[in-house]
Amino acid sequence: MTLIAQYFVTGIVTGCFLILATIGFSLTRRVEGFLNIAHAELLGVSAFVTWGLNVKMGWPFLPAGLFAIVFTAFFGLIVGRIVYDPIRKLGPAVLLISSVGVAYVIGGSVDALVGTGIRSLNIPLATTYRFFGVRITDYQMIVVALAALTGLSLAIFMTKTKTGLAIRAMSDNPGLAASRGVDVQQTSRATWLLASGLAGLAGVMLALIATLSTDIAFHQILQILAVAILAGLGSLYSVLLAGLIVGVAMDMSVYFIPAGYRPLIAFAVVIIVLFLRPEGLSGRKSK
Amino acid sequence: MNIEQLVLTVLTYGCLYGVMTVSLNLQYARGGMINFGTVAYFAAGAYAYAIFTQEPPSGLDQYAFGFNAPWWIGVLAAGVASLLFAIITGWPTLRLRGEYLALTTFAFAEVFHSFLLNERRIGNGSVGLSNVNRPDFSVIGLEDKYAFATAAVVLLLLTALLCRRVLASPYGRAIDAIRDDEIAAETVGKDIKRMRFQVFVLSSVPIGFAGALYAMITTLVSPNLFTAEVTFFVWIALVLGGEHTIKGVVLGTIALVTFEEVVRSFHFETVRAAEIAASVEHIMTGAIFIMILRWQPFDRIKKKRAAA
Amino acid sequence: MTDDILVVDKLTKRFGGLKAVGGDSGLSFKVKRGTLVGLIGPNGAGKSTTFNLISGVLPPSSGSVSLNGKDLSKIKTSDIASHGLGRTFQTPRAFPSLTVLENVMVGADSPGERLMPVLSGAWRGTEAALKDKATEVLAKVGLEGRLNETVSNLSGGELRMLEVARQLVRDPEILLLDEPTAGVDPSLQGKLSSILVDLHKEGRTLIVVEHNLHFLLRIADAVIVLQNGELLAQGTPHEIKNDQRVIAAYLGDEYAA
Repeated sequence: MTLIAQYFVTGIVTGCFLILATIGFSLTRRVEGFLNIAHAELLGVSAFVTWGLNVKMGWPFLPAGLFAIVFTAFFGLIVGRIVYDPIRKLGPAVLLISSVGVAYVIGGSVDALVGTGIRSLNIPLATTYRFFGVRITDYQMIVVALAALTGLSLAIFMTKTKTGLAIRAMSDNPGLAASRGVDVQQTSRATWLLASGLAGLAGVMLALIATLSTDIAFHQILQILAVAILAGLGSLYSVLLAGLIVGVAMDMSVYFIPAGYRPLIAFAVVIIVLFLRPEGLSGRKSK
Repeated sequence: MNIEQLVLTVLTYGCLYGVMTVSLNLQYARGGMINFGTVAYFAAGAYAYAIFTQEPPSGLDQYAFGFNAPWWIGVLAAGVASLLFAIITGWPTLRLRGEYLALTTFAFAEVFHSFLLNERRIGNGSVGLSNVNRPDFSVIGLEDKYAFATAAVVLLLLTALLCRRVLASPYGRAIDAIRDDEIAAETVGKDIKRMRFQVFVLSSVPIGFAGALYAMITTLVSPNLFTAEVTFFVWIALVLGGEHTIKGVVLGTIALVTFEEVVRSFHFETVRAAEIAASVEHIMTGAIFIMILRWQPFDRIKKKRAAA
Repeated sequence: MTDDILVVDKLTKRFGGLKAVGGDSGLSFKVKRGTLVGLIGPNGAGKSTTFNLISGVLPPSSGSVSLNGKDLSKIKTSDIASHGLGRTFQTPRAFPSLTVLENVMVGADSPGERLMPVLSGAWRGTEAALKDKATEVLAKVGLEGRLNETVSNLSGGELRMLEVARQLVRDPEILLLDEPTAGVDPSLQGKLSSILVDLHKEGRTLIVVEHNLHFLLRIADAVIVLQNGELLAQGTPHEIKNDQRVIAAYLGDEYAA
């Protein structure tokens, strides 16, 4: 019984990480209108910038992480402006296919700069706490806390700030938004910054709780896709629930089926959702 | 760098992957379907060939099946395997559009990959099946490497002929119409789902055969040979060649294979240098891919010719 | 065969909360075989939506459409065409990958569109006859000189003619035409008018959505008037011209102009 509870808790942690990783992805989908496969590579960029500053240059974790987030945010913005903006008119299918190319470029660059091998951060070993027979580390709790904080901040941002409202207006109806005075260019830029920054945050979390290897980013895209599709492409709030469901499902499945199939759960979710209810949890019809 | 070896490798693998690119061309450029799971049909063919031609399990072997059949049965089995996989994955998914279809096919391919990795009874899991049977080419007096190159070329020609036959017919006309405007096509009686399904399944068969050929050449089938990398490789080759004409996509494939083989043939001082070279190749491939998608040089050339 | 080729019974269509067609009680009307029926109404009256419902492009929210007694909701959209119903669109739709001639040839049901004949090559015998028929139909609409051109060279009016030709090659029993004169040169409208009259004489049933009432009321046998998705009036052109409700809603300004 405790074992299942343990898997459940680990699943929540995984789920919280997935929330952070996927929110930016869903935001891109919602505002820019396409699935950015390269989003996962941004996690790798952020994770390795953190590692580079922390291990190679001796920075403490916090400044390294913060720098990585900001760096990734601007990096994503530059990529968005240079690569995706000029081809937006070609349609979401071409953008999706192009993002594969972008993933290649970013992934290849990280590979070239970092090299193969397992890496981890120069941080104190995780302290494990026990609650009701279930173990959780302090780092894992940070992930959960940040996911909750992000969810809350996002809700406030989207409902109370000018940029947030502009983003919502743009994703629902770009033409109408433009005619109502929404600065489409600026909102688009804000979206890239925000989405990439969130990816940056997820990357820092990844560096915190996982061991890093250069192919780690690619493995994330499959799970990110699962969460995004379960949530309903383009929906943001549902990502919170979807992330938890996928995380818990993946980790609890280990109790029933061989561990090797854990990633399979994510794919199975994709397939099932697309067949039964393509709009996902939110029921939102995507464009 | 041995020129003859390079040419032979480029020819063999260029044509082998070319088969997949031509099939993908039929699915995407003509059929309007985005298939991001191409590697799965390739793997299905390769594994089917290996399983049918190998000896039954003994001793420490973990796999469950081996029929010890002659190579041509293995090839047939490969075609059937990818056909069946296409039917199973195609029938429920083809009502999905664009990005949804891309994701589902991608997901199916990853499921299949995971399956091969974890189910030891199918193909020895991550270890894979080695000592895959090769046909005995001494009968026709050709060395293996020449025979395989010829086989690859022949397979590509047959695939190209099949595509041509389909596209240069009323069927091809209807497929083009469907891709252009589904609603209008329906008002003149074109059954979109049926035709898309047929194209999808039909184009998977050559991919299965290519898988069998691949298994023969490498004499090894293991899951890490069949990752999404293969799918993206074929996609990049497709775009590189200016997806639309058969000639174009074949040239694109050969160009990409040549690029890779040339990089691979350099002798690097250190492992690290070789790794960096591989990464740079990765980067360049991605960059060229993006640039072609953006500037669409082939479309421009075509339009210039049409206007002239 | 019954006298009514098309029966629309309590048809409704809702988009979210918006009642596009049929209002609360549903839209009902019948079309007699061999007649030329005009479907008119102000913008937003639901005319094109009604066409979309009849031709299977949109599924109805409730109600039914029967063609020769057959309930169309039970048939696949692509099969509706094989039951003898054709339609054109408000904005003409063409296939840019195909030439003008191919655009019409693809309209027909060629045996070469089935997989087995394609693989065996058995369709080759039928192509020549299909080509001839397509050429003939294109001549009828005045496009005989443009056979091998790409559709991007065609004007809006010519694209409309192309659409009509594509439907004609199928020999439809009933043809729905959505604003056929829109964007067509006034000089070509005469040709269009005579094409429709010829089709009418051949015994086909035509339903024509039109804003150009001068054009329509001269050739129509009957007129159906829609407003806000519901039936406002129906009758002969003469009756409609003098119907106060219709004049008030729509005709008055139009006909005065």
